[in-house]
Amino acid sequence: MSVRALWIVSHERGDRGTVCFSRRFPTVECRARALSGPQYVPVPDDHVVLQPLLTELGLTDPERPFVLSRDDCARPQRSPALELHFEGRDGGVLWPVLAVVQGGLILACLVLVETPLEPRPPLPSLASVSQGLSLLAGLQSFLGGAGGKQEGEVLASKLALLPSILLQICPFGSPIDTPQVGAMAVPGPASSQKQPAWKPALHRGRALVSVALSETVRSMQYGRLSRQDVWDVFGTVTCKCEVEGVLPSVMVTLTLPPNGSPLQDILVHPCVTSLDSSILTASSVDDGDGSSFSGPYKFPFSPPLEPFRLCSYTSQACRPVPVPPILGSYQLKEEENQLRLTVALKLHESVRNSFEYCEAHLPLVNRGQMNNVDVKVSSGQLEVCREKSLLVWLLGQKFPKSREVTLGGTVSFSELSSGPSDPLCTGLTAYIKLYFRIPDMTLSGSCVDQHSVQVYSSAKPRITTSRELMSSEYYIWNSNGEAPVSSGLMAL
Amino acid sequence: MTTGNASSWSRRISAFSSSPSQFLSSTTADSFLTELLDELRDDRTSENTKVLLLTPFLEYPTLLCPSPAVGEETAVELLAIFSQLPHKSLQLKCQLMVAITSILVCTSCVSSEVEVAVSFLDLLYHTIQDTNDHKNGPQFYYLRSTACDCLREIETCHPGLLSQRLEALYLLKQQETTPLHQTYTLLYILGLKNTIRLLSLQKGGADGELKKALAGNEGFAWKAIETPLFLFLPSATGQISVVQTSTDNKELKSIVSLLLEESYLLTPLSQAALLRELIEVVAMVQALSPAIFKSQLVRLIGTVEITLLHATLLMKSTFTDSLFTTEDENFFIKRLVSMAQHPLLSIQQKLFYMDCILHFPENRPISSNGEESLPVLVTPCLAASLLPTVFNDSRTMLCRLSLLSLVYLEADENDDKGVGYLFGHVLALHKIVDNHGTREMVVTYFKSVFTFLTYFYHNDKFTNDLTKSITQLYSRHCYLAPNIINLIDRIQECLEDSKWPIELLQALQSLIVELPTAQLSIQNLGWHLKVLGRVSQESQVSQGKTLWFLLNVLINSTLCKTGGWKMGSAVLLVCRNLLQHPSLDRVFNELADVLQHIMQHYDDVDIQDRARFYYTLLTNLSREKLSGVLAKGPDVNRAKVQSLSSLVAESEGLSSCLTIHETTDTVLKLTKIINTKFHRVLQQYDTGNHNDEDVLAFYWKQFSSPGFSYKVILEYHLTHTGDVDIVFNKLFSICLHFDLTDSNYEQVSNISVPCLFKNRKPPVVQVMLQPQQPFPTTLRARALFTTEDGLSWHTQLEDVPVSFSDIFLPLPVPVDWSQEKKEQLFDLLWMSMSNEEPDQSATSLFCFEIGDQQLPGIIESKFSPYLISQQSDKELYKVVFFLPPQFHVLLTITNAEDAVQVRIATDNWELLPFINTYLKSVTHEIPTS
Repeated sequence: MSVRALWIVSHERGDRGTVCFSRRFPTVECRARALSGPQYVPVPDDHVVLQPLLTELGLTDPERPFVLSRDDCARPQRSPALELHFEGRDGGVLWPVLAVVQGGLILACLVLVETPLEPRPPLPSLASVSQGLSLLAGLQSFLGGAGGKQEGEVLASKLALLPSILLQICPFGSPIDTPQVGAMAVPGPASSQKQPAWKPALHRGRALVSVALSETVRSMQYGRLSRQDVWDVFGTVTCKCEVEGVLPSVMVTLTLPPNGSPLQDILVHPCVTSLDSSILTASSVDDGDGSSFSGPYKFPFSPPLEPFRLCSYTSQACRPVPVPPILGSYQLKEEENQLRLTVALKLHESVRNSFEYCEAHLPLVNRGQMNNVDVKVSSGQLEVCREKSLLVWLLGQKFPKSREVTLGGTVSFSELSSGPSDPLCTGLTAYIKLYFRIPDMTLSGSCVDQHSVQVYSSAKPRITTSRELMSSEYYIWNSNGEAPVSSGLMAL
Repeated sequence: MTTGNASSWSRRISAFSSSPSQFLSSTTADSFLTELLDELRDDRTSENTKVLLLTPFLEYPTLLCPSPAVGEETAVELLAIFSQLPHKSLQLKCQLMVAITSILVCTSCVSSEVEVAVSFLDLLYHTIQDTNDHKNGPQFYYLRSTACDCLREIETCHPGLLSQRLEALYLLKQQETTPLHQTYTLLYILGLKNTIRLLSLQKGGADGELKKALAGNEGFAWKAIETPLFLFLPSATGQISVVQTSTDNKELKSIVSLLLEESYLLTPLSQAALLRELIEVVAMVQALSPAIFKSQLVRLIGTVEITLLHATLLMKSTFTDSLFTTEDENFFIKRLVSMAQHPLLSIQQKLFYMDCILHFPENRPISSNGEESLPVLVTPCLAASLLPTVFNDSRTMLCRLSLLSLVYLEADENDDKGVGYLFGHVLALHKIVDNHGTREMVVTYFKSVFTFLTYFYHNDKFTNDLTKSITQLYSRHCYLAPNIINLIDRIQECLEDSKWPIELLQALQSLIVELPTAQLSIQNLGWHLKVLGRVSQESQVSQGKTLWFLLNVLINSTLCKTGGWKMGSAVLLVCRNLLQHPSLDRVFNELADVLQHIMQHYDDVDIQDRARFYYTLLTNLSREKLSGVLAKGPDVNRAKVQSLSSLVAESEGLSSCLTIHETTDTVLKLTKIINTKFHRVLQQYDTGNHNDEDVLAFYWKQFSSPGFSYKVILEYHLTHTGDVDIVFNKLFSICLHFDLTDSNYEQVSNISVPCLFKNRKPPVVQVMLQPQQPFPTTLRARALFTTEDGLSWHTQLEDVPVSFSDIFLPLPVPVDWSQEKKEQLFDLLWMSMSNEEPDQSATSLFCFEIGDQQLPGIIESKFSPYLISQQSDKELYKVVFFLPPQFHVLLTITNAEDAVQVRIATDNWELLPFINTYLKSVTHEIPTS
């Protein structure tokens, strides 16, 4: 259950990459040597590891269209564990190497295999794999959060902290925790009660509990009889609890409206002390019977110091309301030398008509530079980004009383200059992507009542709750064109 | 010697870490270790620098301490440094503990025989006694934490060491209430598990033994750690040995229950580690029921933490239906499927969960060969949420495609809606590639096609559609030829009975030959010829159309004028394949026409010649002879291949004659010739008489004269490495190439050796070295050679070490210089060096005992080529080593009362550690009484 080596590589497209941090764990290496016997492959120097790692991730030779070692179609590329092949005298294969690519950074680790290497054991039988993935995910958020690109100096200062952090959480390659910012604080004097290891210090001061419920809706709308529109919802409950005590007890209850459909795929934070098994039974992957549990969902927990995601769920709110929150239709036609667009969006009556923002993006790519835009909207404003060949329809904070808005007109293109391209949208295959956020509402109807939050603590805390609905991957396809068959969400 | 400042140390340490072998090539591990220890002992060094200085010990202890003896010594040194540190140097103390642990473990010094190991373990154990920092205060918090970690690591590498201290550890764990109780818990459970494992390896009833162990509070169990580590692993069969217990063991039961109850207080990573040990404990002790985990299951399956879910999966595979009912199992698998597509989890986690589904430990597995198989419970309906989409990243897409392929393959055959969706997905990718998708998308598309075909190749509808779509794709993007050929090759290897590759090749052939000549660009033609070359390898495809096309192109396009050698070779490759084709008779005339046209009209002489040769073969040889001449492979006489090596064009199968093969094992080695005494070049200059004063000036002047350079010549025998493959018995045209491992030498030129026969006298190879810095080094050697069958080979040789004494040369003075003159020069040099002139100079002293040996004998055997003068009466010897480009090491050796004194002067202090090591090794050989 250990990591043999750890690398952090910075890599910009086209360059050869540099190892900006690496750490080896010699005592683990001793075990690896003893355990793998003749199949033992030592961890080579950093510069030797670099090239095979990049090849395996498909990042070498960007200008060469086909390189057998990288692009062989029979080479499996679906496991989270990579296999690094070394050429030349030292030869050998290092396995399993776990890797995460994040912006210009590659985080990778080689984990210890504690069973015989031949025949190759299945990944789930190796304890170190989940440990390694956890460590990498922790490093990823420590170095700057998923997806975010790191500024050089910030990154360098964080990398400089790593040796002392690793000395605390993983001196010998077996991590006992993920890296935390400011982990070196010495905790206060011991109390009579055992203090959780995930809570190094105690809160002192005003008590505060805030619970934020955030739902995200995804949708694919095709506007065709032959193809059903699909949409789904997932939500997260994020808490920040500043409560005194070693193990203060807090309970958050999530309730649904009377006819609400059950929350599914519930995942909870490990600080939740106990769970009713009925909460977990509803799953999005099977039909389930109608009799399943529909709340209230009680989550008793003892909070860590930092804000955390208490639970997440998915919901098939689409069952009682068969229409997505914003139903759209998009018709795009080619007319002589121009495109004719007709768009209609309708906000469902059950949805709160008060947006923080609502935008519809209409990319019109693979056609050259946008030339003449003659488009009118019934509500809101239209912005034209010529260099991106993008129409942005800003719908503002409210739909009109009718809850319907339309856009119509023509766009012509100059064929002389080339515009942006996208291999997905050719011919009449085109989409509108919606971006919106509605505060104080959820589609599943779930809510956390401020008064239902129970805190068993001497001081009475201030309790705040909030809700919001956001969109993500919300597509409305041109009904005159072909949307890709496998464009997303289950639709069988 | 050096008073390196912090920044130079930081540079040196990072140079060491990035490539230790390269770093150590310019110094010795021994001297680097000494430097590190010196600097660590130095009070003036800042704490931050000291922390940095310890990193080499943390990462590469065995490089710095290559032997147990050095490991032990180093540990003693570091422990001494540790004990002198003030309390506030917390981080440094922690780092020192980790460093000492790493050294002791990695140099196999953890044993009761090693004094420092015993005292260090006592120190660790003593440190962890102060629970809740009652005695020493909270500044020792992290030190205790590190001490626990060190003990845990030593116990992991030497299982059983703590087996006689379980009760004490249990109490410590119970008393601790700061977050450190986690480390104590992990230490205790590891000790407990290893103790039980030790008991399980013993024969007979173990009730009493177990009870005794739980109450144990003695010293370290040094005896127990003689058990080799590998006994502590689950065997390949997954069989777990069991402790034979007859009675109910209440103590153990309550210990396990309490650990489980408190597991909530641990971080997820530590919780998972604890659970894994507990699972093993419960599995090993019959008296414990797996039901003890039941109360934790809902919490564990409900969490978002991957490590906890993974540990639960281990529970499932260890205890199957004794812990998980059918319902539980059903619930668990549903949970895994929904996690494998959960929008809030990372890609890596989801991929891992998909792997977990394919290796799910079912209560009633249909097959249990450990290979991928689909659990019965995963139905098409359940898996629908895992259908691939074009918005997935490549890995997820491919993983989902193959998982779903497996699902639909096992599902009802009449319902091909699901397969239809997958095929639709492949076509959607096709469309993206067709619209100039990214390179990654191209690769993903071909991988998807490959995956899809391996499952559904028997369905004609899909394969026909794929043939059509790939042909269409090729017609628009012929640069995809390498991808398409790769796909065809792999499908042929993987599905021998599939007709699809042939169908696709036929379709591609038809497409190409029907292209109007006017539209053919030379660039596209290259791709077309590549495809036709591949088509011509297939005996089932008729080749008339191909030849017709070639002739048409040769006559009607500018190919003959502008194609050049490369295109010509591509055309000839097709022709060559056709010479071996079973239907050669049917295309005889067409092939002859093509070859004739090339030999008459192609604008490249080599192409013309080869065409002529093929033409001659075609028209003069019988079919049998022709195939005999052209065929190659293991059954063909090697000598014949050689004769054809110049005839073969680029092609996968036939390129072996033209490509350079890599040997699997080392074939050659260089063995140093020890008894050559004068293996060096000396450039001599005739001189006139010099008076005393200008001896030194004359000496220095010669270095600046043009053309003056000293080279070291080392002689080696080139031999086979033991018993090599019979192929390599006779080697020809061997070219040895040397790569430097550091920047201290000029490039070494290649060496050619005409031949090497197994049973003949080995050839002598002279390696000429020109140092820039006279440090020991290692040369990477590789060789290119030809074997008797005409194949070319590339091989790596073992590294060639160049030791410090290898680069000693005698003093470069004219041969006619008298003894006195040399001695005079010696004295002048000595004087200048003693005065630290130049400022790189240094002097030193080395003493050794000679026992019964006579000093003259030693001098004669070790230093005679470098001896300047000897005054036998006084037993005073002057020795000088000249080290190119222009460094000197001067020795005066005298026999003092009880030891021999060697006084050293050098004009390059950096050489001192090497001189020291050299003198040690020379004097070490002298037997002392």
